[in-house]
Amino acid sequence: MITDFPNSPLPLPNPADLDDELAALGGAEIIPKALRRTLFPVITKEDVFNLMLAQRQAPEKVVADFAEAYRAYVGAGFALPTASGTSSLHMALVGAGVRPGDEVIVPAFTFIATAQAVVAAHAVPVFVDIDPVTYCMDPAAAAAAITERTRALMPVHVHGLPADVPALRALADRHGIALVEDASHAHSAKIGDRVAGSLGDAAGQSLMADKNFPLGGEGGIAFFAEEESYRRAVSYLARHGIDYGMSWVAAAFGSSQLKRLPYYDEIRARNAALLGDALRETGLFTPPHVPDGHVHAYNMYRLTLHPGAVGLDDLPVHAVKEAVHELLVAEGVPAREWQNTPIPCHLPFRHRDGFGNGYPFSLNPGAVRDHRPEDFPVTLGMLDSTLVLCRELRSPVEYERILRYADAFRKVARRPDAIRKLVQERDYVRPYEKAARLG
Amino acid sequence: MELFDTATVLTRVLTSGVVMSIEKSDRELPGLERLLTKKTRRSKAVLLNSRTGAIHAALAGQGIGHGDSVALAEPDAETAAFLAWLGVRVTSYDEPAAYDYLALDPANADRLGELAAGATAPALVVDLTGLGFGPAAAVLTDDPKLWARAERLKIFGAYDLRTMWTQEEADADLVPGVQFNYRLSPLVAACVRMALTQAAQPQTAQPQTAQPRLAATSGANQS
Repeated sequence: MITDFPNSPLPLPNPADLDDELAALGGAEIIPKALRRTLFPVITKEDVFNLMLAQRQAPEKVVADFAEAYRAYVGAGFALPTASGTSSLHMALVGAGVRPGDEVIVPAFTFIATAQAVVAAHAVPVFVDIDPVTYCMDPAAAAAAITERTRALMPVHVHGLPADVPALRALADRHGIALVEDASHAHSAKIGDRVAGSLGDAAGQSLMADKNFPLGGEGGIAFFAEEESYRRAVSYLARHGIDYGMSWVAAAFGSSQLKRLPYYDEIRARNAALLGDALRETGLFTPPHVPDGHVHAYNMYRLTLHPGAVGLDDLPVHAVKEAVHELLVAEGVPAREWQNTPIPCHLPFRHRDGFGNGYPFSLNPGAVRDHRPEDFPVTLGMLDSTLVLCRELRSPVEYERILRYADAFRKVARRPDAIRKLVQERDYVRPYEKAARLG
Repeated sequence: MELFDTATVLTRVLTSGVVMSIEKSDRELPGLERLLTKKTRRSKAVLLNSRTGAIHAALAGQGIGHGDSVALAEPDAETAAFLAWLGVRVTSYDEPAAYDYLALDPANADRLGELAAGATAPALVVDLTGLGFGPAAAVLTDDPKLWARAERLKIFGAYDLRTMWTQEEADADLVPGVQFNYRLSPLVAACVRMALTQAAQPQTAQPQTAQPRLAATSGANQS
């Protein structure tokens, strides 16, 4: 299979490369253009063979077998396979008892599907700020947003780090409301021995092919702790005539990939540890924070900049970030912003047309807010001061490539003079002042 | 479709390494779009992951949403339930329909062009689930605005890879409200394309014993 390995191997890094001029200023790139392509997902001959075998089975059995195998892996009580992550979140909310007009508390920093799934459930998303260290939902902010009409908290395990589930669980219990996980980034992520997806009353998870655990295209899965919740979701689909069915083609690919998921988890963890050690040495960068007892799945890797550590504390942090971003990309590191605006400030939540004519926002006008980015200062601070690596930690990202990424960060961090010069030359604006982007 | 043919298609796509719908180098989804527009003689296609996703897109594409009324042929119970979930009322069974509907299966897939020719609504919903690869559907239209709105409904406001994920929108009429992920998988699209291609080739088609059983209907008989 041509997809098992990259076209050309990367040579091991040469320590002398770090002394070269920056690529943006005419020096050699740490990762040359011809060697930058990252293939994902990994597709093996076993995957092909398993899809062939699946052809000879009833489609319903292929999908059910996949759902049961993955449910057992996660340790959730019940599982409902769906066509997408969004539909899985919709079903998780419905199963948890969310009804039209209810309020569901979601973080302002997430993929837009989290909030759109609330609208799909004919409920109203109520946005709260994030924790400044983990970038997941801030339990104190969630507590402040609870009203008599709040039916659920929906934290997101952002980028693969489980949210503060113990605090949120206690908050939910105190108010008699449900805890619904958005585990779309968090395949195999854990708190203690419990896997994301099994931590709440219900959970939704994307399984699209760019996730750590990919299906053959698009897919999702909803998990439920109790049978009653599962049955509520299933009967909702039947009652409303909704087809959220998963294709057997996608499911068969997933069953095959599931066997290798622990192996890929190990590779990502190794790559993240290696890169984290290198970033800490630079002073300018720190890797994602992982609380004790949490296992980060690193679907994305959000690193934080500390301009003061290299004498740049007189410059706006967002400008330093933009300059560093330019320099890293020139070296061949595909760093990204991944979001630049709090979700409530995106057009669908400014217009609030919903299903049409303002439904379901019209069911609960008291829950609706006209938000400005400044309403979410922690999110803005995070967007100002962080960059993201997406596929770059995953298998088949090879050892040599991670070493070279680490070198690129080292090389850029050594040149605060170049960063300062770029900031002075450019007219960088804060992230949310540009067109809102999701990815 | 013969198992061997499905196996060949699945292997070809897996070997390409591109199984994700938002991959720039995906060729399967555009390939199915081209085939459907050619056969139905409509200028635009929206591929979706289910029959209900396509009905939603056909209506949302015309700006029809919660609280609005439409004309349709009398829908079956399942479709009526889905329309009620959308908040769309059917108030006329006689006027020109908001969308036409046809469901394909191996017995009638060779007649797609003929069936589509009899459809007159602004949107034609084609249910491809009966071809056997899982839920799949398409909306065909000649209305560029309907197409643009439907694309934004199915993929969080993004409508092409150049502007992907940008939520800024020059045309306020096209700003989506609720958004879903109704995207179709390239592997499914590749299998559907093969089934439709073979159905149109008598020399490789299944024995012609099955009688065509469906004609284009106006939003009715959609089970």
